[in-house]
Amino acid sequence: MSQGPSQHLPTVGKSVPRADGTPKVIGTARYVDDLPAMPGELHGATVRSPVPRGILKSIRFDPNFDWSDITIVTAEDVPLNTVALIAEDQPVLAARHINHAYEPIVLLACADKRRVLLAKNAVSLDIEALPTVLDVHESLKNTHTVWGTDNIQKRYLITKGRADTEDSVSAIDAVLAECEVRVSGSYSSHHQEQLYIEPQGVVAWWDESGVHATGSLQCPFYVHKAFLKTFGEQPSRIHITQAVTGGGFGGKEEYPSIIALHAALLSKKSGKPVRMIYDRKEDIEATTKRHPAFCEIETGCDKDGKLRAIKMRVLMDGGAYLTLTPVVLSRGALHASGAYEWEHARIEALALATNTPPNGAFRGFGAPQTIWAIERHIDKVAAVLGMDPLELKRKNILKLGSVTATGQVLHTSVAGVECLEKARAVSEYDRRRKAYSEKQGRIARGIGAAVFMHGAGFTGSGERYLKGKAAVDLLPGGRLRIRTASTDIGQGTETVFRQIVSDAAQVPLSDVDFAVPCTTHVPDSGPTVASRTVMVVGSIVEAAAREVGDRVRKEQQASGGTFAEAADRLLAREGEVTSLLQYSPPSYIQWDDQHYRGDAYPCFAWACFIAEVEVDRETFEVTVTNFWSATDVGRAINPTQCRGQIEGGALQAIGWALFEELVWDKGIIKNPRMTNYIVPTALDAPPFHTVLVEEPFSFGPGGGAKGIGELPMDGGAPAVAAAVEHALGIPMDDLPLTPERLFARSASGAQT
Amino acid sequence: MAITDLELHSFVRLPTIADVLQTLADRHAASQKTVVLAGGTDWVVEQEMAPPHKPGAELPMVVDISRLSDLQTIHLNGNLLTIGAAATYLQLRRHPHIGMGDKRAALLARMAQDLGALQIQARGTLGGNLATGSPAADGVAALMAYDASVVLQSVRGERTVPITEFQTGYKKSVRAPDEIITQFQISLPTHYNWYWRKVGTRRAQAISKVALAGVAVVESGQIQRIGLGMASVAPVTAALRNTRSYLCSAPLHKLTGAELDAAVNSDCSPIDDVRSTRQYRAHCARVVVREFARSLGAPV
Repeated sequence: MSQGPSQHLPTVGKSVPRADGTPKVIGTARYVDDLPAMPGELHGATVRSPVPRGILKSIRFDPNFDWSDITIVTAEDVPLNTVALIAEDQPVLAARHINHAYEPIVLLACADKRRVLLAKNAVSLDIEALPTVLDVHESLKNTHTVWGTDNIQKRYLITKGRADTEDSVSAIDAVLAECEVRVSGSYSSHHQEQLYIEPQGVVAWWDESGVHATGSLQCPFYVHKAFLKTFGEQPSRIHITQAVTGGGFGGKEEYPSIIALHAALLSKKSGKPVRMIYDRKEDIEATTKRHPAFCEIETGCDKDGKLRAIKMRVLMDGGAYLTLTPVVLSRGALHASGAYEWEHARIEALALATNTPPNGAFRGFGAPQTIWAIERHIDKVAAVLGMDPLELKRKNILKLGSVTATGQVLHTSVAGVECLEKARAVSEYDRRRKAYSEKQGRIARGIGAAVFMHGAGFTGSGERYLKGKAAVDLLPGGRLRIRTASTDIGQGTETVFRQIVSDAAQVPLSDVDFAVPCTTHVPDSGPTVASRTVMVVGSIVEAAAREVGDRVRKEQQASGGTFAEAADRLLAREGEVTSLLQYSPPSYIQWDDQHYRGDAYPCFAWACFIAEVEVDRETFEVTVTNFWSATDVGRAINPTQCRGQIEGGALQAIGWALFEELVWDKGIIKNPRMTNYIVPTALDAPPFHTVLVEEPFSFGPGGGAKGIGELPMDGGAPAVAAAVEHALGIPMDDLPLTPERLFARSASGAQT
Repeated sequence: MAITDLELHSFVRLPTIADVLQTLADRHAASQKTVVLAGGTDWVVEQEMAPPHKPGAELPMVVDISRLSDLQTIHLNGNLLTIGAAATYLQLRRHPHIGMGDKRAALLARMAQDLGALQIQARGTLGGNLATGSPAADGVAALMAYDASVVLQSVRGERTVPITEFQTGYKKSVRAPDEIITQFQISLPTHYNWYWRKVGTRRAQAISKVALAGVAVVESGQIQRIGLGMASVAPVTAALRNTRSYLCSAPLHKLTGAELDAAVNSDCSPIDDVRSTRQYRAHCARVVVREFARSLGAPV
């Protein structure tokens, strides 16, 4: 046992092994489907709409099927038929109006897993089909109104400089007209499926203490809120627990509320525990995906490359219901002008409804879509100016003291230039860019860069409203226990939190426990999203650990003995020794939600990603041959895990750019399987050369950590596209860059 | 999905080939269905996609032949390479005459290396993939390039069918319900050029958009013997008959790209599906054939 500060070896900054590593590798970790069957347990299944829009006329249950052991739940059985989130537009089960394919209509449960599948086939739906709206352009026309009065789910307007006036369109047009060089373009990005390894799943049951749900999820308190609304139970009678979770990437932020409500409804009606586990097909079809986006940009600059003004319109496809779309759109809009300083800006962002499954949270949360657009656009400006794109970015990048499009003055932890220069040097960008610009053979090489930043934590005053809490308890023997609703979904929260607590309380890492996130036992730390876990919740945990550690040491100083002995004395005397703290955001943050102006984020993490590719000019297969990055994380609590986040996120972005494509046919997904929704394998991963830059954020834990979860998803696609564009000499403005699409855009494809 | 139905099937492993053949014959005579399992890399996936099994309906019995050592042997006798139908792709990669040693049939190992990933290579078999009849099967394309013979056996006796005549339509073949594929026989040329190119969706776990296997014997500037097999461009593995004829029709230096393309076009009928497009596949088919022809010295 530690005697005091002098003997504590710091763990922050060390790549200690993951706490969850061994059980996951040897197979003892219990994911939700591994949990032992409860007595009398039933298997749940969902009957979904086969059409994207229509009126449900009737549900027919085949009279020749034996329904005696099947529990049936329809909209009539739902106490309050809405999924509590931002709006209340989404029903738990569709009652009459069907707004997207795969919308849930009937729930079934049976002890026999095979019989429940047969029962599904014995349900037929009589649906009168209605005209559909399947993309943002159709939605904007509002020929068919499928949401609200005009299909517009949310709109934001950000203005700066001369555009910050009533008639912002005329004003920005006037500024653009005065600019020496004007460039315009449009850039589109597509759906992306999270494809976490473990599909969605939950087990729910009711007993004398209320309703319970244990599942694969990111945000137990979201599910708690949904149960509160739908079942009208007392908060203390709702118990939501996170099981070991095999990946989320945002896909298990809001969706688990729905599958958990479904299981709990079946359990309520049958009086038995119900297990619902989606297979891959159902998961890809029914759950949320990344919002497709269409961005139009017009910019003005000086002949020497000094950027002056930007006019941008972002259209995001929200899908059939609002879910988290306003927040995704917000983050997209706030990152739309990129890592560059503009004197004048007008950014308009609209989310539009379509008859497709609701799009939702996905790593990056709207920012990858707008950063895709702005990075491609700046590369286009460089081409028009005849400048090197990275040089143009270097010239205009936000620095300490710069003012963002929302008027935020960057006064702390700004490392854009440093990341750019480090990545540029380590990749030998200038030499390669020049070399690959020479005439090429069948295998063409190219190199391209993306420079970007990502706001850490909730937008604007979000953290102030949220009041996230976390606790550290003292346990017998001087052990500490972290209690937080921040979940480890594979990203390493548990390990990093234990490191932070170990150092803050100055106890050995092995003396720190991490409580299973269960709404009954942990405080609401806010959701596990927005790159906020380490920076925000980590700082609460750090303060709480420091407080508990100090109390024990004070006792130690007063009455002697080891840390453990002092802890036991304290516990014997006080019964319970806990520090439960609430987050207080840096006081300088000022945010005007009305006008979307002010400090959008407490700070930003910065990065420069550089991709090198080889393109087969006959088959159009793209191979990423090298991937360099320099990323400012504030402080790397666990450098190996930090690199893992960066490289994993970059690979996910490479997948989005080169491989992944949902194939739609009239609102139906044609490739809902891992064999045909193509994500990169380990063999498709390039060699990663990852440089960590540490520009501390004084309010971050462990000496200045910032958020890192989402940032790496932002820059991979534009960097790869820039490299492919460099290799082929064909504009790459639309994702994805599959060989078929490159072929169609190429001369040889055009001739066919 | 009906993967849960797997446990309803009766699975059997029998000690000898003779036992397997007798069982197939008896069950066929009694109009009972039997599935012969030789790795399961196609069949198990098909079960996952199949609708749930209706109670009372007959389920096929599954006879697993993947552990019959007589079906797994690979040996080279002079120029005659014999490969057991249940030899796995990993065995091909590790065999002293195929993927290692003198590499007399290196094309097979190169193909096997691109197939699925290690886990699939350890289970999948040439015989199994030929029997299930996917036109995307990389292994079948390679067998076709070697103009392999397929040996079929039943209680009625043994027969040999050229690989180019084995498939009769999409997932249809000359194999009778009581027959199993026992081995492949390949007459290896003493000296030959070979070619393998898979255009897949990614570097592993990829189903071919187009794959070409080629074997050629070139003497005095002219192709004397050519074998081609192409995956994913027709309802069956394409033997590219017109392309073969064209390539052998004149000295290499007289071949032209345009005529070669025309021959390939006449041999292929690719489709649009979720993995690729008809146009891209047709384009890649031409590209890979030209690449092979170029490697032999044709100015195409």
